[in-house]
Amino acid sequence: MEEKQEKKRIGVYICHCGGNISDYVDVEQLRDIVSNEKNVVISKNVMFACADSNQKEMIKDIQEEQLDGIVVASCSPKLHLHTFRNVAERAGLNPYNYVQVNVREQCSWAHSDHPDQASYKAAGLIRAGIKRVSHSEALENIQIKAHKSVVIIGAGVSGMRASIDLARMGNQVFLIEKEANAGGQIAGKGKLFPTEQTGKMVVDTLMDQIRRLPNITLFTEARVAKVTGSIGNFKVDIVIQKAQDETISLQAGSILVTTGYETYTPKEGEFGFQTSPRVITLDVFDRMIRECEGKLVYDKKQVSSVAFIYCVGMRQSKGDNKYCSRTCCTSTIHSSLVMHEKFPRIRALHLYRDIRTYGKQEMLYEKSSKAGDIYLMFQEQHPPHVESSGDQMKITVKDHLTGKQELDVKVDLVVLVTGMVPRTDSNQVAELLKIPVGSDKFYNEIHPKLRPVETVINGVFLGGSCQGPKNISESVQSSLSAAAKINAIIRKETIELEPIIARIDAEKCTWCGKCQEVCEYDAIFQVETNGKLVAAVNEAVCKGCGICTPVCPYDAIDLIQYTNQEIEGMIDGFAQDVELKAREREEGAAHEEGGVMMKDFPQLWRSIMDVLDEGPKTIPQIALKLSQPAELITWHMMTMNKYFIVEPAGIDENDEYYRYQLKNKA
Amino acid sequence: MKTMDLSFSEEIKRYGSEDFYTCYSCGNCTAVCSLTEKNANFPRMMIRHGMLGLKDEILSSKELWLCYACGDCTETCPRQADPGHYMAALRRYAIAYYEPTGLTRLIFKSNPFAIVLTIILSFILGLFLFTLKPDHEVARWIFKWLPFDVVHDMGMVIFILTGISMVIGLFNMFRHLSGKNQPAKERRNSFFQIMRHLADEFGTFRRYQKCDREEESFWQTKPWYVRPWAIHWTIMWGFLGLLAATTLDFIFKDPAMKIWWPSRILGTVAGLLMMYGATLALWYRFKRITKSYSESHLADWMFLGFLWVAGLTGFWLEIAVAFDSDSVVNHVTFLIHTVISMELVLLFAFSKFAHAIYRPLALFFYFREKG
Repeated sequence: MEEKQEKKRIGVYICHCGGNISDYVDVEQLRDIVSNEKNVVISKNVMFACADSNQKEMIKDIQEEQLDGIVVASCSPKLHLHTFRNVAERAGLNPYNYVQVNVREQCSWAHSDHPDQASYKAAGLIRAGIKRVSHSEALENIQIKAHKSVVIIGAGVSGMRASIDLARMGNQVFLIEKEANAGGQIAGKGKLFPTEQTGKMVVDTLMDQIRRLPNITLFTEARVAKVTGSIGNFKVDIVIQKAQDETISLQAGSILVTTGYETYTPKEGEFGFQTSPRVITLDVFDRMIRECEGKLVYDKKQVSSVAFIYCVGMRQSKGDNKYCSRTCCTSTIHSSLVMHEKFPRIRALHLYRDIRTYGKQEMLYEKSSKAGDIYLMFQEQHPPHVESSGDQMKITVKDHLTGKQELDVKVDLVVLVTGMVPRTDSNQVAELLKIPVGSDKFYNEIHPKLRPVETVINGVFLGGSCQGPKNISESVQSSLSAAAKINAIIRKETIELEPIIARIDAEKCTWCGKCQEVCEYDAIFQVETNGKLVAAVNEAVCKGCGICTPVCPYDAIDLIQYTNQEIEGMIDGFAQDVELKAREREEGAAHEEGGVMMKDFPQLWRSIMDVLDEGPKTIPQIALKLSQPAELITWHMMTMNKYFIVEPAGIDENDEYYRYQLKNKA
Repeated sequence: MKTMDLSFSEEIKRYGSEDFYTCYSCGNCTAVCSLTEKNANFPRMMIRHGMLGLKDEILSSKELWLCYACGDCTETCPRQADPGHYMAALRRYAIAYYEPTGLTRLIFKSNPFAIVLTIILSFILGLFLFTLKPDHEVARWIFKWLPFDVVHDMGMVIFILTGISMVIGLFNMFRHLSGKNQPAKERRNSFFQIMRHLADEFGTFRRYQKCDREEESFWQTKPWYVRPWAIHWTIMWGFLGLLAATTLDFIFKDPAMKIWWPSRILGTVAGLLMMYGATLALWYRFKRITKSYSESHLADWMFLGFLWVAGLTGFWLEIAVAFDSDSVVNHVTFLIHTVISMELVLLFAFSKFAHAIYRPLALFFYFREKG
C-alpha cells in the first residue's frame, strides 16, 4: 500500500457546547495549541458547532480555504457525525475526510471535577483527531446490484402476509413451505381473539390474495438446502420432495425468515401428561371444543368441569425455557370463553402463576371472571399435583390467594397450557443462513428496539414467531415491517453500503487462511490474482469488525478508516506533550467556597437573585416577575443550581413546581 | 387440606350476590375496611372462600357477623364485585344453613315463596287469633269447619317449632364457631370480661361507629343521630324496649290502661325510638342514599317493613285506646298489629331477624380473644 499524501489544509473547530464543554475545558488555550499544529490552517472556537450559522461558516471555510480535512471537537459522534459529514459533502469535501472528536462526554462531562485534566485529555484527543484526518482517505459508498426478488422461508400467516405486500410493491416473491399446505400453525386453530374468525378463515383470505398475485411463487413440501451469496444476490437452493427430489435454485436480493414456532410438548408425567387419563394439552382441548356438539365429551364421559394449568414448560427457573410465552394466557381464557358459549354450565378453574393478558386482552380476563371462572394462583416451587381419582382427576394446589392454603378439587378434565418453543429444526435454518440464535434458542435480531427485524447478516430479515413468542397480530406486524425494510433495500436494484470494511493488500498476502478462519461473517474468500492465491473480501458481507487485521502474519489487511497509519498517527498525536497554562479561573477557586464571584454573573442571574431575595419562588413565578420566557429562566436556574447559587426549597402548594431559594439564604 | 366445591358460587348467587366472583383478590376491600383487624383478611378472604366453595370456612367464621355493611368496600372495589352486599348474602346463607328446617333457604332464595308464605301465615294467624275469642260470630262460623282445638293446637305447635329451630340454629352456629381457631388459654378473656365487652358494644355500638369514621364517608358531614349506627341502635333498643313492655303487660296479665304506668311509658318511648329508626332505614333504602343502602333484598324490606307496620298500628291502637274508640277500623288495625307482630316472632329464626341472635354469639367469640 503506497503512502498516501498527508493532508495540507486542515480546519479544526472546537465547540463550547454553550458552556457544556467550555465551563471545564479551556477551549481558548486548546485553540492556540491546535493552531500551531502542522497542516492546520484554520482553528476556531464556536459556541455551538452544530448551529446552522456555524455549519454555513464551515462550508464557507472549506471552500474559501480549500480545506482537505476537518475536525470538530464537540460531542459524541453518535449525535452529530452525520451532521458534519453532511456539512463536508455540501462543501464539496469527501465526507470521510471528516473526523469528530468527543470532548464533551469524554472530557468535560466525565472530568468536571478536574477541569485542568479535562483540558489536557481534550488536547490529546484533538491532536489525535488531526493526525487521523491527515491520513484519512476519500471513500465512496459501495454499490451492489440487487435482484428485485425475495425468498420467504415459511408460509405461515407471517410469511404469507409479507409475501403479499412484497409482491404488491413489485418484487418477485418465492414463498417456501415445508408442509404440503400453506397456513402453518394458524390453519389448524379455531376461533381467534378478537375478530372471532377461525384460523382457517384467516389463512383462506391470505391464500386467496396470494393466488391472485402472479409474482408470488409458492413452493410446498420444499426445504431450503443451501444458501450462498450475500445481500442483493443470494442464491437459495431448495429441494422439493416428490417421487424424485427436485432441486431448484432461486436468486434473491433478500431473504425473509418466517419459520415460526412449535408448541411445547409436556414431558411424560409432567402434571400427569400421558401417565394419567384426562390430561390433555390446550391444542387438543381446542379441537375438542370444535368437534364436540351438544355436550363436551372426553373419553366417553361428559365434561362438566375443566382445570387449566398455565405456564407448563414455560418460565422455568431451572429448565431451558426461562421466558414467558405471552400468548397462552389469552389463548386459554379465550378457549374457556368459547367453551362457555358452546357448552354452558361447565365450570372452569384456572391454575395460573401470573395472568398476562396485556392490552385489550385484559377484557377477556374480565369477561371470564364475570362468567364465574375461578382463578387460583400457584408458585413455581409448589406446582399443582394431578392424580386420577375414580373417573375424575384430583388436583391439589397451594393457592396463594387463599392464604397459601392447600386445596383439593376434582375435575373431569385437566388441560395443560403449553407455550411456544423454537422449532426443532430451527438450528438447521440458522446454520444455513448463519443467523445468530439467542439463549432462548429463538433467532436474534440486531437490536430489539432499534433494529427489531434485521439480523446481523445483511439482507436476511426476521418476521413472526421464529424470533420469539408472538401472537398473530404481532407476528404480522413484524413480518410486514421486515417486508417494508426489504423493499426499501431492493427496490432501486442497487444497494449502497458504508465503505468501512477490510482491505487486503494482494502483494503482501500469501493466503494462509487465518483471516478466513476468524471471520464470523464468511466475508473472506480465496481468489487467484497474477497466478497467486490471495484472500479477497466480499464487500457486501464484510461488517468492518476488524477481527481479521491483527491475525494476519504479514500485515496484509487494513480496516479502512482504521488503517495502521491512522491508528499510529492518533497514538502519536495523543502521546505528544501538552503544555497547558493553568487556567485563570476565579470561579474555579470559588467553586469550593460554594459560590461564584459576582462579576461573572450574567445580568439575568442578578435579576433572578433579586427576585429570590424576597423568598423562595418557583420558576414560573420568577419568569412572570422578570417578564422572561420560562424556558430561559429554567435554563439559567439549572445552571445556577449547578453552581450552588440557588437550591431547591420544596414543592409548591399545588404539588406542581419546585421552589428555589438563594443558597446562602438557607 | 380443604376441598373445593365448584357449584357453591351458584348457590351464593341465589342468596342475592350477583357479581362477587369477578373479584381478583386485589385486597382493596380489606385495606379500606375499618373493622379489619390483624390478619382477618375480610372481606377479601370471605369472597375467596365463597368462590372456592369452602363452606366450612364461611360457616365457622365470626368475621361474617362482625361486618355492619357500611359499604366502603363496595365503593372501593375496582371490579364491581360488591363485597358489601356479598357479605349480606353470605349472612343470609349462614342463617339459612344454621336453621335446621330448610325453610329459610326457600324464603331467601325465592321471593314468591317468601311472599306466599307470609300471606298464608297471616291467614293462619288470623284464624288462630279467633281462637282467643271463640264466642265471636265469625269464630263460630269458622269452627263449624275447623274444630277449635285443632286450630289452637296447630298454632301452638308452630310456635314451639319456631322456638326449637331457633335454639338448634344457635347451637349449630356455636358448634361451627367453637370448632375453629380458638385462642390459647392465656389469650382468652374471662366470661365476665366478655360480657362486659358485649354490654359495652350493645350499649354504644362502638365498633359500628368506626364504620362511619372514614374521612371521605358520606356520613362524615351528617349529624350523629341520622348515621347508620344510630339508626340501628334506635331500632334495636326500641324493639327490646317494646319487648320488655309487652312482657311486663303479660306478667301482670292486665294491659296497662293508664298512660303514666311505667310499662306504658316504656312502651311509648321504645315504640317512638323504633319507629324513628325503622322510618329512616326504610327511607335510606328507598332513596338508596349510599352504596350500602342501594341494593335491598326482599328480606331487608320485609324485616324493616314488618317492624314499621307493627309500630304504626301499635301507636294507632294506643290512640284508639286513649280515646276509648271501639270501631271496626280499630278492630281491623288490632288484627293487623297482632298478626304482623306474631309473624315477626314466628319467622324470627327464618328471616333477617335471626341476626339478632347470631351476631351476639359471633361477638361473644370475638371478645373471647384478648385484643
